[in-house]
Amino acid sequence: METAVTSVQTRTAAGGRVASPARRPRRRGQGRLLYVLPAAVFLAVLSFYPLVQLVRMSVSNVTASTLNASWDFVGTANFTAGLVQGDLGKAFWNTAVFVIVVTVIGLVGGLAAAIVLRHSGRISGLLLGVMVFVWALPPVVNGSVWKFLLGDNGLINGIVHATGLAGAPIPFLYDEHFALMSVALVNSWAIIPFNALVFRAAVLGIPAETFEAAQIDGAGPWQEIRHVLLPAVRPTSLVLAVLTIVYAFRSFDFIYVMTYGGPGTSTNTLPFLGYLQAFVRFDYGLGSATAVLTVLMVLVLAVVYARSVRKEEAE
Amino acid sequence: MKFPSLPSTPKTPGAKRRGTRTIAAVGAAAVVSALALTGCGSGAGSSSGGSSKEITVWHYFSDPNQVKVMTDYADTFQKNNPGTKVNNVYVPYDQLDSKLIASAGAKSGPDVVVYNGADASNLALANTLAPLDDKWGTFADKSQFPESVVHKVNGKTYGVQGYVNLLGLWYNKDILTSLGVQPPKTLSELEDAMGKAVAAGKQGMTLSGLPQSQGEWQAFPWLSSAGFSYGSPDAGALEKGLGMAQDWVKKGYVSKEAVTWDQTVPFQKFAAGNVAFAENGNWQMGTAKSTAKFSYGVVPLPVGSGKVYLGGEAEGIGAFSKNPDLAWKYLQQTYFDKAGQLTAMKDAGSIPSRKDSAADPAVTGNDLLKPFADSIAKNGATYPDDAVPAKNVANVQLAVGQAWSAALGGQSSPSDAAQALNSKLSSLLQK
Amino acid sequence: MMRKIRKTGPGPVTWALRAVLFLLYGVPILWIVLTSLKEPGDVLSSQASLIFRPTLSAYTDAISNGGLLDAGIQSFVIAAGTTILTLLVAIPAAYGLAKVGGRITTVALGLLIVLQMTPQTATVIPLFQIFGSWGLLDQRIGVIIADTALLVPFAILLLRPFFRAVPDALEEAGAIDGARNWKIFTSIVLPVARNGVATTGTLVFLLSWGEFLYAINFLLSPGSYPLSALLAQQVSAFGINWPGLMALAVITSIPILILFVFTYRLLKEGLTLGAVK
Repeated sequence: METAVTSVQTRTAAGGRVASPARRPRRRGQGRLLYVLPAAVFLAVLSFYPLVQLVRMSVSNVTASTLNASWDFVGTANFTAGLVQGDLGKAFWNTAVFVIVVTVIGLVGGLAAAIVLRHSGRISGLLLGVMVFVWALPPVVNGSVWKFLLGDNGLINGIVHATGLAGAPIPFLYDEHFALMSVALVNSWAIIPFNALVFRAAVLGIPAETFEAAQIDGAGPWQEIRHVLLPAVRPTSLVLAVLTIVYAFRSFDFIYVMTYGGPGTSTNTLPFLGYLQAFVRFDYGLGSATAVLTVLMVLVLAVVYARSVRKEEAE
Repeated sequence: MKFPSLPSTPKTPGAKRRGTRTIAAVGAAAVVSALALTGCGSGAGSSSGGSSKEITVWHYFSDPNQVKVMTDYADTFQKNNPGTKVNNVYVPYDQLDSKLIASAGAKSGPDVVVYNGADASNLALANTLAPLDDKWGTFADKSQFPESVVHKVNGKTYGVQGYVNLLGLWYNKDILTSLGVQPPKTLSELEDAMGKAVAAGKQGMTLSGLPQSQGEWQAFPWLSSAGFSYGSPDAGALEKGLGMAQDWVKKGYVSKEAVTWDQTVPFQKFAAGNVAFAENGNWQMGTAKSTAKFSYGVVPLPVGSGKVYLGGEAEGIGAFSKNPDLAWKYLQQTYFDKAGQLTAMKDAGSIPSRKDSAADPAVTGNDLLKPFADSIAKNGATYPDDAVPAKNVANVQLAVGQAWSAALGGQSSPSDAAQALNSKLSSLLQK
Repeated sequence: MMRKIRKTGPGPVTWALRAVLFLLYGVPILWIVLTSLKEPGDVLSSQASLIFRPTLSAYTDAISNGGLLDAGIQSFVIAAGTTILTLLVAIPAAYGLAKVGGRITTVALGLLIVLQMTPQTATVIPLFQIFGSWGLLDQRIGVIIADTALLVPFAILLLRPFFRAVPDALEEAGAIDGARNWKIFTSIVLPVARNGVATTGTLVFLLSWGEFLYAINFLLSPGSYPLSALLAQQVSAFGINWPGLMALAVITSIPILILFVFTYRLLKEGLTLGAVK
């Protein structure tokens, strides 16, 4: 049986190629959708269902007392309640600032780190090790350390004081303007190792010949980066941009550890607001509505990404 | 996640289809074998294991002194009741309520829950706790417990506190002596002492300004000393209270950094030795003893006729306990027992809730506990306040905590913060 | 090669950036280690920030806690199981989505991003219900499945560009040789894309090593928590044991470092590029 099948297949592959070269890749392509099947089934049960529940909650009245009972449909009441309570608008702008800072610094920093660490060697290895170590630490540890470093008696204010740059300690975490920036910067710091590692893997995937060819053409290091490296990592950077933006949009643990949304409500971002609503105030409906709004914002991003992927494929 | 179905008419000859099917089959087999490889059982036995001699206690303590209370209670109970076993299970504070609620949805849960008394209404409304009325109603020592430690929701009892936690004013005796001031008894004496401390290069007082329930818990004594109450909320009183706190920050008595601190860090700062006062709780006795390298004392918070919350953990029985009777027996012999409460006092500095335990010389003769006990009599207030509707307890705490944080951090002026908070409260406090 | 190719060695700008990275990431680690060596009373004392009497008591406390080894094993099983399962599910899916064009892929990618956005906290309760009905509560396998569901969208998105980078010509050459689909995939595509697979695998392992929300919620028995949950235990409403937290952070990161050293060797460029040639 096995031999027969093999021979049939061999014949088909060869025959198909001869008969209609244009059709073959497409058929192969559709067949490869089966590869997606296990993931599709797995996610349908374990990820899609919770998402559906989230959306259902966002249009229902769900509190601690009704969570385990039936949920009354309330339409858009949760969304309007979020707006009326006035928290949503401010959280929206905080989120926008936060996401932009984390994405830009996270991506640029990650790429820069990947480029300066692209050569194998003890130094690169050590530095990457240090960065991965940091990335793998839980936010409660990283957040607490930065809280120490940024405090009034912390190292950074100590240096500022010793060098006479400023008279009073810089209010990194308790001034309403500084606090959001500080938390966003620490978040970028935390995501750079991840981006660097992935960018580096993409950089390492560039065939040596490409670099050699560029060098024979007389390209210097900067031209190499611009004309060889950057185009090569473009698909990766697209994915990383998406993952970083998603990370920024859902990140709340550093805020939790470092400011708890404070002072007052000045570092409340949408994910943190959703957390407060669902798990501190036990209004699951309201919290889900905030989360759904965030998902909708990212949906816009998803469409943009999917489009650019199609464009990339059309090329 | 949806994927369009694959074309039903095979465009490829059978062999190829078989190939892809094999892939799917191999993939599935690999998944299954990976699952088998990782082993299906967990390391330890099941918590809800059928044995009728076993109870599971969920708690959120990780401080060694408080953990010792839990292990002492387990030892006592197992010794008194041969053949029984008490499993203490730690659940992080942030996760306890949601884990209880999630388990209740799956009709499971612990036998005994040690939870934050302030969360009683949410946990009871979520059907995670069993009503205790049958058991509590016939409990012989019931009269030893003041009403303020019995948590009732909609007329049913869902938990009783075995001890009380409250805030007092810790002071650094060395600093006060060098400044030549006495431990303050009034607000103006406190402000005066903080002024002198700051002038001498020390810090005035540490407290928590975190924008959540801990902030509200720490703010309430000061706000109530300015005349605020949840029964008749008044923007003027709020403004006065918040203004006083903002004033302390402006004068350098209190660090603005307090807005990022929970209640732990301010005490650690105090224990480091450069601060005259700390607004903190009796549960810090262990930390004070182990870390403070100076002599210290406690006086009641000098809030005049203001109120100090009587907090602490309530103990109740899980709604899906398989052994509610054994669980009740456990509570009777530990948290609700005279000697049991004294164990907690010795281990962790908890103030017993039973009148007879609180009158024990071990408590009344303790210099650090006595000011707290005095404060209970003079300023003690039910936590959360009875005027706050059960369903809005968490909302109110968050709103007040955020206003407190905004005032300390200088994010808004006392009058703006007070106006905004008062309008929020007026809707949240409606029954 | 006729002419010796200039090896693009690090220039001054590279060295400066490396120094910056070293400071940015080295100083916090130094702080973690310093804090882990302090007495609890010294942590927040301004005088003792750099000069203090070091003590190993946080480490001896952590190690003498008998649960550490069990928690370590638990962590390892969960992380390894999640990594294997995630890769098994995500690699074929990423390959399929990389090679099939059109609307289906577009929609699938969009959905993956949306799934990636669902807050983890929002998935705990639905998953608790599912696992409750499947009898997977209080089982490692439940946590592994939950972690996998969390990480599969991430892994697919991350892997896809690596599979796209595999030249079609390579696969066509394989097809001419008469290799079957699956064989082309395993013997031609996977080796070329192994850089991406190794990187993704490492990241998935690290993420599941540190994941604690599911572990804390789905494991019910005493003593069955992984290391990440023990770390969370150092922070409570009544106190934070800073030296204990930092010491545990250091201890739990050692396996991560070992893993990194291992994969770093895998990622050496010579090996990688050899495969493409």
